[in-house]
Amino acid sequence: MGMLWSASFRHLLRHPVQLLLALLGLALGVATIVAVDVATGSAARAFELSLDAVQGPATHELDGGPAGIDEGVYGRLVRTLHRVRANPLVEGYVTVGDHALQLLGVDPLAAAGFAGDGNDATQSRAVPAGPGSALGSGAALAQWLSAPAALLSRDTATRLHLGVGARFSVDAGGHAMTGQLLGVIGGDADGLAAVMLTDVATAQEWLGLQGRLTRIDLRVPADPAGAAELAQLSRELPAGVTLAAAAQRARAGADMTQAFNANLRALGLLALLVGLFLVYGTMSFAIVQRRRSLGILRALGATRAQLLRIILLEAAGLAIAGGVLGLGAGWTLGRELVSLVSRTINDLYYVVAVNSATLPAAEPVLAVGAALAVALLAAAAPAWEAVYSAPQLTLRASVLEGRARRVALAALGLSLLLALACGGIVLASGRSVLAGFAALVLAMLSVAATTPALLYAAARNLRRWRPLDWPPLRLALDGIAGSLSRTGVAVAALAMAVTAMIGISIMVDSFRESLRDWLTHTLQADIYVGAPGPGFARPERRLDAAVVTDLVRVPGVAGYTASRRAIVDSDRGPVVLDAMDITPTLRAGVDLTAATADVWRQLQDGALLLAQPLAYRLNLSPGGVLELTTALGPRSFPVAGVFREYGNDRGSVRISRDVYRRAWRDDAVSTLALKVAPGVDVDAVVGRLYAAAAGRQALQVDTPAQVRDISLTIFERTFIITRVLNWLAAGVAAIGLLSALLAWQLGGTHELALLRVLGLKRAGAAVMIEAQTLFMGLVALLAALPAGLLTAVLLVRVVNRRAFGWEIDLHLHPVQFTGAITLAVVTALAAGAYPAWRMAHAPLSQDLREE
Amino acid sequence: MAGVRIRSSPFLPLLLALGLCGCQRHGPVATPSADDAPGMQADRLSVLRAADQPGYALADAPRHFEFPQDHGPHPQFRHEWWYLTGQLTAAGGATFGFELTVFRLALAPQDGPPSATPASAWRTRQVYAAHFAVTDVSRGRFFHATRYAREALGLAGARAAPFAVRVADWSVTEVPSVRTADAAGQEPLSWQLQAADGDYRLQLDLRSLESPVLNGEAGLSRKAPGAASYYYSMPHLRASGTLTRAGAALSVSGSAWLDREWGSGSLGADQQGWDWFALNLDDGSAVMFYALRDRDGRRDTHSAGTFVDAAGQATPLANDDVRISVQRRWKSPRGGQYPAQWDLQVGSQELQLQVTPLLSDQELTTQPRYWEGAVEVRGRRRGAAVTARGYVELVGYAQAQAMPSTPSASTAPGH
Repeated sequence: MGMLWSASFRHLLRHPVQLLLALLGLALGVATIVAVDVATGSAARAFELSLDAVQGPATHELDGGPAGIDEGVYGRLVRTLHRVRANPLVEGYVTVGDHALQLLGVDPLAAAGFAGDGNDATQSRAVPAGPGSALGSGAALAQWLSAPAALLSRDTATRLHLGVGARFSVDAGGHAMTGQLLGVIGGDADGLAAVMLTDVATAQEWLGLQGRLTRIDLRVPADPAGAAELAQLSRELPAGVTLAAAAQRARAGADMTQAFNANLRALGLLALLVGLFLVYGTMSFAIVQRRRSLGILRALGATRAQLLRIILLEAAGLAIAGGVLGLGAGWTLGRELVSLVSRTINDLYYVVAVNSATLPAAEPVLAVGAALAVALLAAAAPAWEAVYSAPQLTLRASVLEGRARRVALAALGLSLLLALACGGIVLASGRSVLAGFAALVLAMLSVAATTPALLYAAARNLRRWRPLDWPPLRLALDGIAGSLSRTGVAVAALAMAVTAMIGISIMVDSFRESLRDWLTHTLQADIYVGAPGPGFARPERRLDAAVVTDLVRVPGVAGYTASRRAIVDSDRGPVVLDAMDITPTLRAGVDLTAATADVWRQLQDGALLLAQPLAYRLNLSPGGVLELTTALGPRSFPVAGVFREYGNDRGSVRISRDVYRRAWRDDAVSTLALKVAPGVDVDAVVGRLYAAAAGRQALQVDTPAQVRDISLTIFERTFIITRVLNWLAAGVAAIGLLSALLAWQLGGTHELALLRVLGLKRAGAAVMIEAQTLFMGLVALLAALPAGLLTAVLLVRVVNRRAFGWEIDLHLHPVQFTGAITLAVVTALAAGAYPAWRMAHAPLSQDLREE
Repeated sequence: MAGVRIRSSPFLPLLLALGLCGCQRHGPVATPSADDAPGMQADRLSVLRAADQPGYALADAPRHFEFPQDHGPHPQFRHEWWYLTGQLTAAGGATFGFELTVFRLALAPQDGPPSATPASAWRTRQVYAAHFAVTDVSRGRFFHATRYAREALGLAGARAAPFAVRVADWSVTEVPSVRTADAAGQEPLSWQLQAADGDYRLQLDLRSLESPVLNGEAGLSRKAPGAASYYYSMPHLRASGTLTRAGAALSVSGSAWLDREWGSGSLGADQQGWDWFALNLDDGSAVMFYALRDRDGRRDTHSAGTFVDAAGQATPLANDDVRISVQRRWKSPRGGQYPAQWDLQVGSQELQLQVTPLLSDQELTTQPRYWEGAVEVRGRRRGAAVTARGYVELVGYAQAQAMPSTPSASTAPGH
């Protein structure tokens, strides 16, 4: 047994490059999925922490919709509740320098009681030390209550270059305010990384929300008296104020990024899939390579069980080592990806700052487990075959290759079955995103399964092609066809990576084109004016009424549309509401995909238009009904139409502004869309607009071109991650190809050595090897071109539709294939470089001696 | 406000553990007991001990008291309290002690600078804190709770006419229907107290026909060379009403004691604590005495009190007039040792009293902890046996507080 182990060990040591590549491929495959999980998990964790920070120990919350809650409601609650504790909050977003921060107005006196006032002397409980520690003096509290004072986490203060006591200016919806940093919160203040804390009064003044609270958190004790008070409270709630369990809010936040995270995870899984192919290839080559030594060991009397055990243990060891390396690499990579992910989340969803990376448990375990399982499977099949063949047969490669050809044919049949299954799933699975991804995986596997047969057929047919009638080339092609067991899997892995690249490239381009078309279509005004600031649909992003009056009177402005954007509660969760008057001229800018007959009249009467993603998510179509929580309580609104929208992956609701103003008692204007009179210079009007608001409110003024640029920039940022992951998968495939080529070509050097003895020049030998690898790259590409198209269709029509509800037009362009062609060619040439160099430089005698 | 020193203030502990962000569930600094969180130092001593600040009205000379105006707030002074304690007996015979104490604290002598934007209704410089406690003698249970609020939006506040003082859902308000002057031109006091939390809810009518008793020098009470306050008491409020315990309403009646005090000065740093006695004797007389303790454990010479005879005649008690010896001590499970039985002698009144707590553990687990509890008294006055009921406040006995460590916190040096 000791001899067997040392034989196995020495074999690995004799092929250090292959060992390294196997480990690298395994590690990279595992690393990619771990990285994705670290990145999305950390962003989700940061969101939870900030939610915790904002929510504290609340069990319930009161929400007043876009106009907030009258602060008098809080006063009444405080005077009447004995058991339920209430905590008033004013929330919004502000900007300090370039940094977007969530502004949180709190009342330290209410918060103190809210955190828990142990009533029972016998009760003992750990009490958290909050940022209140930074207010540790009466003078500080006096300042907190009487002046615009703020607290920041230590890290945030450092990032903003603010020292304790420093005065700073802060922009709240275009209004410049001044504050003073009263203290910093140190310690474990993760959740407050993007939060600025002030008194309720300061937050109200900064955000222009005097008299209103954004939210009232409630802590209801879990006893009958608490429940009774809560019931009483819910009976006496003013209209427009909704009571919800705190958990619902967390869920809404998680829901927002769910589709986004699912897509990222799917890309990570793609990398893992390619990685698993590589694991399979590596392990099976390793065993196939050793058929000779296994045969000798069998002939020397080693039992089948002994050999199997050693091979499987070796495979397991490799898989575990690669998996652990992959975990480490994934962790490192994930921390880099975090910034990309959190930027996208900031662009699209909410302000979040990720300070620390979190390693989620489930997926890395799954990745390492899958790698281990595949490694064992990959090793077991050829090992079983090798040890159960008659020892002398094992020594002959031709037997094996004959079998490989039969396997390639079988794989072709399997490919057909996989394709059928893929189609079946797409047709049968309805709206499931998961099934969409499953179909995608099946399609990719189906492509992979065709490649060995394609490779064999191409090699066999090409050698008969007269222009290529150069003996070394013919030999090279024969070599490929004759060693399908080694080349087939490597080409399959490459084909999958190239397929993914084509599919994603087409999908992203199609999406971009659809977005561009939509923007051109939608942006009908000449100038857009809004209040600057972070946060999507934030109530504080509104134009002062007096400023609006002056802006629309600026000379050169021929017409305008005012709109208000708000987030309101519906019976199906929070939705983004765009309240605007869609005048007949503006109707052309609304691309209706479904509508009732008299959609515009209905809209005037209070019906809704739903953006495609929302309509899909809520499964609503014209004629349906959506219940929205208005200031007057819940009201049912008919759905009159569905329109295209790419601006927001959650989808928005359009409603007539008059209806909105009445139902939500909110006259604020978020954006003005201005039409400039014919012949008037737009830039001149923009200058006049700034001048009209000067000293009162900073404006964010954009032309349609700027809106388009901003939208497309955000779009590109969103897909950076996709591209990074795609190239990672390609890297995994390249390593697989290189490793396969090494195993195969280094094994076959004696043939080439013989050719060189017969007169083939060094350069000729190198060219021959590069030709072989290039050929394999081209075959992979050949398989990937139609497969990539199919994948693109699946991504656009199935996955994206199901995940986000978008309908995207397929846009095809030759440029979309350049990445894939580059990948296939460069990977192939790079993989051949080392064997070619080695062949050109190795002394002939050594390779011949082995014969 | 230049050179404000960062030192202990009434709000330090409150804010140390502020639940501003109940977020910090991770890595909390464990503190030994529950009430540390909102433990504003709403005991009388701590309030008096805060740093002096110029700009407030000072209690530095005797003044003319005017009622009912002086029941109301005096916001030009830095601090003020309404202190109600008493003992109640339920129809079935069960005995209860109760306290409802309300503190007003001004954080700044003047309003802050006017802001450029319309000011929020939340802006204020006055904050209120309150403690509510019930000593449920028959069940051996001591319950207490806390409220904090700023004087804004009706969350907290006080007024003289009609009288009202409120912190969140707890209040003492005048009952308007009986607000008529009696024959002597003296207005009878008729208030209603409401407080509830946990298992206890107390609704009491408080009445008195007597005049307030002015303590110290015609109402000017000196507690340290630089610290005096205006101080009056109403030792004999008749109390009746309902105590609801875990949903079951009990009819209760008894007597309550009102202490009112306001000022702006602070105590000396060497004054460590005090034992404060408020006792109603069954012959109709009453004794109030506070024994101030210095850091070395000795009684401070500023200790003082008042004896009120059955006719309502008040006699000031000087430090030398009262001898107190501790008979027994009680060790708090939360640390620290309190005196738990006293022998109290007032030579000038031929009064000798044995004061015993109704329950050992009447410690408020606030920050800092203090003991304030119902006591029963047996003794002799002028040779005749007397009994009494009352309240004792013991401050400064809890061991050095386990403050959450705050190396990470820093504070602006004021402005």
